Amino acid sequence: MIDVLGHRRVRRALRVGSLALGAAWAFSSVAAAPTLVGKDAPDFALKALDGTNLRLSEFRGQVVLVNFWARWAGDSRQEMPALNRINTTYARAGLVVLGISIDEDLRRAQEFADSMKVSYPIMFDTGSETGRDYLLQKMPMTILIDRSGVVRYSHVGFKRGEDRIYLDHIRELLRE
Amino acid sequence: MNFKSRIVSILVSGTLLAGACAAGAESPADASAVPPPAAAPEAATAPDAAAAAAPAATSSDTPPADFKTLDQEVQGLKKDVIDLNKDLFVLEEELLFPANTQVAVYVSMDVGAFFALDSVTVKIDNKQVKNYLYTAREADALLKGGVQQIYLGNLKVGKHELVAFFTGKGPVERNYRRGATINFDKGVGAKYLELKITDKVSKHQPEFMIKDWE
Repeated sequence: MIDVLGHRRVRRALRVGSLALGAAWAFSSVAAAPTLVGKDAPDFALKALDGTNLRLSEFRGQVVLVNFWARWAGDSRQEMPALNRINTTYARAGLVVLGISIDEDLRRAQEFADSMKVSYPIMFDTGSETGRDYLLQKMPMTILIDRSGVVRYSHVGFKRGEDRIYLDHIRELLRE
Repeated sequence: MNFKSRIVSILVSGTLLAGACAAGAESPADASAVPPPAAAPEAATAPDAAAAAAPAATSSDTPPADFKTLDQEVQGLKKDVIDLNKDLFVLEEELLFPANTQVAVYVSMDVGAFFALDSVTVKIDNKQVKNYLYTAREADALLKGGVQQIYLGNLKVGKHELVAFFTGKGPVERNYRRGATINFDKGVGAKYLELKITDKVSKHQPEFMIKDWE
């Protein structure tokens, strides 16, 4: 009887311990989520919706906003019109907005991009290499790159009104 | 000079340069301890002020000798940094791609009236090693005579096959995809291959060749 009780206690202790370990691991993985902020933005060249090829390094000297989006990510539908407004307002001030689709189905992604009628270039990361380089965690993801090509701000997801945060950062980078 | 001694010389020059930079950083602090030369004219009496103004104006136009030498030192240090950077770049390339295994592939384009380049894919021994997408600026640079190093890698001595695929717009804006193949022998020295895009006027078609630079 004593042996059975002892086994139960050991099992309970092990269960509690493993739960605590799991929670600690999950917390540490969230806290140590990799980010590119402060590092040079990885260069990429992708095909745009209009058939031209665009390379990030050719926009050196301008502030660049890179938005990774996917057709299946609901937040992208909200974010793209907001980014379009930002583009029309700040393009003359030296801002470049680039949209990158990570959809595997290129045709449907093109249809979606056409339907959004955005004025900034939409590109397609068909090989997923660019997404890997930018450590994509969740969609959509927006990255701000300064005039010298360094990632200065990274934002995951999008909620209504969050474009104001982008605007604050954009104005700050344009002033530099 | 052998490889080891080169590494040692680069490391030594780097250390010396770092020491020189540190010494350079200290010198402005020392300079601040010296009272500014402009303080003397300010202390002059009113009648002397007009007379003192002229020399003061000329002295503000020409920087003091100390600043000149400091500027020369900074310029010298900058030059040393550039030289060191060049040495490190060459050394890195020699370490990563030793001459006995090095293979470099270049792209050049001549005229381009019948072909607008979009991308080049390079396969060596049936393995894709590079896929390069050209922007309008890059294609323009090639048309103006630029030569691009598209791939630099290592290969064992022996027989190899390189296949290059060129995509773009051909005559009458048609989508165009062509391939070119070369079988080459990799010897003990570095191997240089050139992917050449030229116009074949007689056929009104572009031509794709791979040249082996012996």
